[in-house]
Amino acid sequence: MSAPVSETATAALHEPDAPVEQPRGGRTPWWANQRIGLLILVVALGALFGILRPAFFNQQLVVFPLLRDIAMFTVVGLAQMCVLSIGHMNLAVGRMAAFSMMITGISYDLWHFSLYAGLLVGLIAGTAIGALAGWVIARTGVNSFVVTLALDFLLLGLIPLVYTGLTDNAAFVTKPEGMREMRNYSLADICIGNVCGSPAVPQLALFAVIAMVVVGWIYSRTKLGRELLMTGTSVKAAELSGIPTARRVITAHAMSGCLAALAGFMLAVSTGSIKATIGEEFMLPSFLGPILGGTLLAGGFISVWGTMLGTALTSVIRKGLDLLGVGLESLNIYLGLILLVALSTDRVRTVLSDRQGVRER
Amino acid sequence: MTVHSLYQKTAVGLALVALAATGCSTKNSNDTAGTSGDDASTGTSTGPVELKDGSKVKLALIPGGAHPYFQPWKTTAELDKTDFKLGGATFNETGEWDQGKQNNVINSLAAQGYNAFGIFGVSPTDINSTFEDLKAKGFAVGSLASCPAGDTNSADFCLSTDVEAAAYKATKATIEAIGGTGTIVHLTGNNVDSNTQRRIAGVKKAIGETGGKVTELPVITDIDKDLQTAQKAVADLLASKGKEIKGIVTTAYNPAVAAADGVASSKLPIKVVAIDDDAKILSGIKSGGVAATVTQNPVGQAYVGGWLLALLGSKQCTMKTPGVIVDSGSFVVTKANVDSYDTERKAKTTELQKDFAAQLSCS
Repeated sequence: MSAPVSETATAALHEPDAPVEQPRGGRTPWWANQRIGLLILVVALGALFGILRPAFFNQQLVVFPLLRDIAMFTVVGLAQMCVLSIGHMNLAVGRMAAFSMMITGISYDLWHFSLYAGLLVGLIAGTAIGALAGWVIARTGVNSFVVTLALDFLLLGLIPLVYTGLTDNAAFVTKPEGMREMRNYSLADICIGNVCGSPAVPQLALFAVIAMVVVGWIYSRTKLGRELLMTGTSVKAAELSGIPTARRVITAHAMSGCLAALAGFMLAVSTGSIKATIGEEFMLPSFLGPILGGTLLAGGFISVWGTMLGTALTSVIRKGLDLLGVGLESLNIYLGLILLVALSTDRVRTVLSDRQGVRER
Repeated sequence: MTVHSLYQKTAVGLALVALAATGCSTKNSNDTAGTSGDDASTGTSTGPVELKDGSKVKLALIPGGAHPYFQPWKTTAELDKTDFKLGGATFNETGEWDQGKQNNVINSLAAQGYNAFGIFGVSPTDINSTFEDLKAKGFAVGSLASCPAGDTNSADFCLSTDVEAAAYKATKATIEAIGGTGTIVHLTGNNVDSNTQRRIAGVKKAIGETGGKVTELPVITDIDKDLQTAQKAVADLLASKGKEIKGIVTTAYNPAVAAADGVASSKLPIKVVAIDDDAKILSGIKSGGVAATVTQNPVGQAYVGGWLLALLGSKQCTMKTPGVIVDSGSFVVTKANVDSYDTERKAKTTELQKDFAAQLSCS
């Protein structure tokens, strides 16, 4: 490849043009805001399920695992959101989690690392594999869809090979000190004096809060975040403004890999062991959360809160349907229908808001 | 910007309200039940134990996801409810073969008052954590149809097919069917599953015992996802090595059905030993297309498991040795016993009740 990186990166980034975002600002009434709509919907559905099945508010058996799930899938959503911000996608998000956790598992099993040292190793591995995907995209100009799909296949072959070679049960079962506790501990185990936190909020959720704060800070307060969004909106414009788009592509994918690793760790802790199948269920939820929350597929606009709310919506619906005793045949149908209604309501709100805007003008 | 900050504030506000609604707690005020430590048991029963009062027991039988193997559990759960006069019984297969989802299903059922759980864990390396959680909350837990990986079983008991022994039996049957010499191939499920590893070990053990007379082609794994995947793998295998192979041993449902069909349609003289007693496989045995099948005991697992869980859940009994592992039996079915094997299986189920009764300590 003789083309300079910036040119090939431009080619790679030349994915469908971003639809023009509705102007945000004073003209949009508050009730037309997608995130507020989602929040109201989550609360309303929670209340509805609670009325139909009071067990929905059972702190230990329902709220705690529900929040643990929302936290984990929020991080999965953030991993996808980072690449969506530049108009790319990461189809290997689950397998990156599996790869990172494989390294973490090796660090626990063979090198006897502590819980957090192993996590750090996993995060570094995730960042590295993400950066590799980004580098290949930036260097070759091949579409992110193709590169991450290829990477997914590569890891799909590599990971079981390593697991079967190194373990008896295709899983790293060594549990470093603190892993078991992290699975079950809630804020009730964090006390100031005699007053402790809520037993319904898992400590594991703090990882998601940290990830949300850091990612939110990067995108809203730093030059890097603005450059990523600018790259997502228009690569040409970004390059003309002096933004090193190729490097931003690598950064976005590295962030995605790092967050995928964190999500993999949260899953490993909450289920109990580090196994090859970690992340198999990540791909669809990784898109669902951000897209429901308003992040644009074409890049240029993201929402951290929206990602969390979009994830919460699907988790709450699933949990509610579980409690209502909906069978396997109907569960996914209802889930799909409720999501469809939720999104249609959102569209109705936007149309109403537009009409109101036109009348005011 | 106004709206942006408004929704952020609203979101933060509502999140705080939600957090407050879940409530803070005071140190040592949690009502953690702790592991149930009933020691009401005094006598030891020698015969099957009569359940005194099952009305407070709500039994949940939870497979890892939808699979034909577990369909008998659905009717057996109802049978458990009527035979043992339980307060309730349900069968829930919405785990979708994902340990996280299965844990959610279990928690949701527990929140609805179910207090005795018969579980087929999706991930043998993770399921002990789930069992520990349930035990810590005072529930009765049985590991059904699959035991946790490793040496520890954190459930009250495990009633499962010894998969290694079943694979060994199936391979022995294959070796016998091919006349004691030749090449065989093993078709099975998810390679990164500890049960698959145990099956592979069972097959290798039986082949090893032939002292080189029987050789094995590389194991074909990951083809139990659905029937099409298995059919494709079998078609590829028969096309490339069909003439070389004398026998096929299958230790997973879809490969078994696919191999029986594939060999029958290719007209190759290959002996197939299948698993389970799907109608297709049984008719294959009757017609001679399938040499043998190794059936398991799903009804026995659900029935005896339900009975045990009712005894443990009602606090009438405790296990003398918590975590005991019992083989629910595997049965080689050939043309000779295809019409009578179920009698043998029912006898095994009765025997299982007797075996477990000796393991109980009851009031």
